[in-house]
Amino acid sequence: MTQVILFNLLNGLIVGAFYALMALGLSLILNLSGVINFAHGGFLALGAYLAYSLMPYIGFWGALVAAPVLTALLGLAVERVLIRRLYGRDPLYGLLLTFGLAFIFQDGLRFVWGASSVPYQIPEWLASPLSLEYFFLTGYRVFMMIVVAVAVAGLFLVLGYTRLGMRIRAGTLDLDTVSVLGVNVRVLRNLNFGLGIFLAGLAGVLAAGMLGLSPTIGDQLIMPSFVAIIVGGLGSLPGTLAGGLLIGVAAGMTTVFFPAATEAVIYVMMALVLMVRPSGLFGDEGRRQ
Amino acid sequence: MSLLEVRNLSRQFGSLIAVNDVSFAVEAGELRAVIGPNGAGKTTFFNLISGMLAPSSGSIRLDGTDITRLPAHRRVAMGIARTFQVTEIFPELSVRENLLIPVETEAGLRLRPFLSRARAHEIATRVDALLAMGGLAAMAERLAGELSHGDQRATEIMMALALKPRLLLLDEPTAGMGEQETRDVVRLIRRLHEQERLAIVLIEHDMRVVFHLADRIMVLAEGAVLAEGTPQAIAADERVQAAYLGGAA
Amino acid sequence: MKALEKYGPSIAVWIVLATVPLWFPLIGGYTALGTRVLVMALAAMAVNFLLGFTGVLSFGHAAYLGLGAYGAGMTIKYLLPSTPLGLLVGVLTGTVGAMIIGAMIVRLRGVYFAMVTIAFGQVFYFIAFRWVSLTGGDDGLTGWKRVPLDLGFTQIDILGNDRAFYYFVLVCLAASAGIMALLLRSPFGRTLLAIRENERRARFLGIPVDQHIWLSFVISAAFASLAGTLYAYLDNFVDPRAFYWQQSGEFVIMAVLGGMRSFWGPLIGAAIFEVLQDKASTYTDNWMSILGLFFVLVVVFFPRGVLGVLNRKPTR
Repeated sequence: MTQVILFNLLNGLIVGAFYALMALGLSLILNLSGVINFAHGGFLALGAYLAYSLMPYIGFWGALVAAPVLTALLGLAVERVLIRRLYGRDPLYGLLLTFGLAFIFQDGLRFVWGASSVPYQIPEWLASPLSLEYFFLTGYRVFMMIVVAVAVAGLFLVLGYTRLGMRIRAGTLDLDTVSVLGVNVRVLRNLNFGLGIFLAGLAGVLAAGMLGLSPTIGDQLIMPSFVAIIVGGLGSLPGTLAGGLLIGVAAGMTTVFFPAATEAVIYVMMALVLMVRPSGLFGDEGRRQ
Repeated sequence: MSLLEVRNLSRQFGSLIAVNDVSFAVEAGELRAVIGPNGAGKTTFFNLISGMLAPSSGSIRLDGTDITRLPAHRRVAMGIARTFQVTEIFPELSVRENLLIPVETEAGLRLRPFLSRARAHEIATRVDALLAMGGLAAMAERLAGELSHGDQRATEIMMALALKPRLLLLDEPTAGMGEQETRDVVRLIRRLHEQERLAIVLIEHDMRVVFHLADRIMVLAEGAVLAEGTPQAIAADERVQAAYLGGAA
Repeated sequence: MKALEKYGPSIAVWIVLATVPLWFPLIGGYTALGTRVLVMALAAMAVNFLLGFTGVLSFGHAAYLGLGAYGAGMTIKYLLPSTPLGLLVGVLTGTVGAMIIGAMIVRLRGVYFAMVTIAFGQVFYFIAFRWVSLTGGDDGLTGWKRVPLDLGFTQIDILGNDRAFYYFVLVCLAASAGIMALLLRSPFGRTLLAIRENERRARFLGIPVDQHIWLSFVISAAFASLAGTLYAYLDNFVDPRAFYWQQSGEFVIMAVLGGMRSFWGPLIGAAIFEVLQDKASTYTDNWMSILGLFFVLVVVFFPRGVLGVLNRKPTR
């Protein structure tokens, strides 16, 4: 029993880490630009497939770095051509446009790489268990946790200590003032979008090694990411991180005791949070107008 | 007993004390002005009275009833109506509809899925009277958002009046207006005050307007009451002159 | 003249709808597609009651479509084979669901509200998906059929006769549209417009905004669940996809495409959308790309919708 619980706890943490990585990207974009990026799951899937196709040429490590970067570049382009048109408009339009993009992504991926899932090779030494007793503790799982931790730490360092990061944070609080102070808001939002998409791409590469690769891989992750943001509290990145891990663990634990409710439990958690603390666990203000 | 009685009201935002221990009373039928330099806490003070913000400490009573913790819409039902510094109307509805909504709400009809013919007629008559009083009859069918600034302001004031308030709070009613528009709005306020015996509190920057209209004046500075009294007394007060009138001129 | 201006569009809409079985086949349609348009139009109009006339965006109305659909299907399958009873149970299920969820989210606004409504829709999706013994899971709820209407003196065969079913749905749509139009012209309806136009002003005119948004949400969901029951009757089938967020998004795009500030806009949007989908999916496997492109194009080039462009009234 202890083994089963530990297994699912670890699984929950890993899945939660994916949720968090994706939700952090969504949050970045939502906070600065007011757009809910429905296509985030599409970007994630694209990152995964790019890594799959690049690996034979540049290897596992090369793909791990190159795929998220390429995805982010596409993100920059999409922001310039389409997302930019949405700023300052009713949030309705952002939802609809990115919703459409999500469809195009899914169909496009299916067209290029096929509808059925493809195997994703991870290095031999990462795939083997580290311990015989805790067979599920594979090197890849540990590796994933480390990469996510590094990525999240990197994100908070960037936001806390670089010029770009400080401007993003300031812009989130008061875009008008930042603009008056001479920051180019268009560029800022563009780069911020790219940063969010980079995280999605990275989550995609990691998820491919764990969940396998299919065009709908992003679909499975986007709704829980929304829930992570809501549970953590809109506008708070640490909240989003905590929200993601929390619902991941909750889903993992539910698998042990009531497997049929694995997916539903995170929505129940969301309902509870909304009833007790509508602004989310770490949010200071839920009533955005 | 005063109509409005504010005791030791304070509101903090983080370390900033926007309103600091203000006590204040308005009698029925009185026209009171609140003045003070920018950032003196005037609008925050209004927001506390009207229920947009909750005070950090202190109490607010209307006719002896404690309303400190009441939500905004309940305070409206008790007789407090307000306008905003930046005109708040329903821009894509006609002027008539802008007035219809508060008239129906005041009559307790806001949840009605339909109205009897007689009731609808009664409501329409009240709306017509308000349109006439505000000088808006000629533009009743136009979209409120298309009106001039002054007419939008008049619409907003008449919307507040449609609620049959006992206390009307006007936040800078002449802000951003030209000479003629200012005169029209001042005349409207004076007429309401005299005809309806309505208690009015107004925030105003234009000193001519203040001294022309107000029975009494309260001066706020840095969130606290600096002075209070008749226009003559305030004009003569040295502290006010030093802190505000002198500095502003 | 004034009366014509006021009632003309509605009369035209009803004449066109009442004669669909006569002219629609002539231009390549078929009656069942017409029925589908009506069902989706009802759902889109319900969404628009909230979106266009209260200014609140729900991106999760598929939840109520699904609740209505499963409520109706399961009533007929497990309880009693009666079309009106299924309809009643379906609408009640959806309405009660909306009352509960509405109470949890009514304090939220804007993007946040939209996001939470999307997420809540998923709960029902997973329940329908997982509770196989009750709902049939991924295979859908099958093994039941809508039942001919028994009016006592005569029977209407809405099961075997496509046209009869079309008119049955049309009657439901007419009743719903009538009630919604009546509500929107009432004092209550005006408070909703007030909230859409300027929430702060509405609150400081004494309108308890959260309460009114909750009511509008519940009314809107009630009509969406009525659409859901008809949606289940359409194919005598319902599966978890009725709950999926893609469906919610489609309702919103229908409302926007037709013009969300106009009463009949969503009907026009639904007609364009459903006919286009029907045609496109027979010619191409990449329907999803076309659908996605369609969303993008509407947002970029056509944000006011068909009727929004026709009526020159300014919109934000």
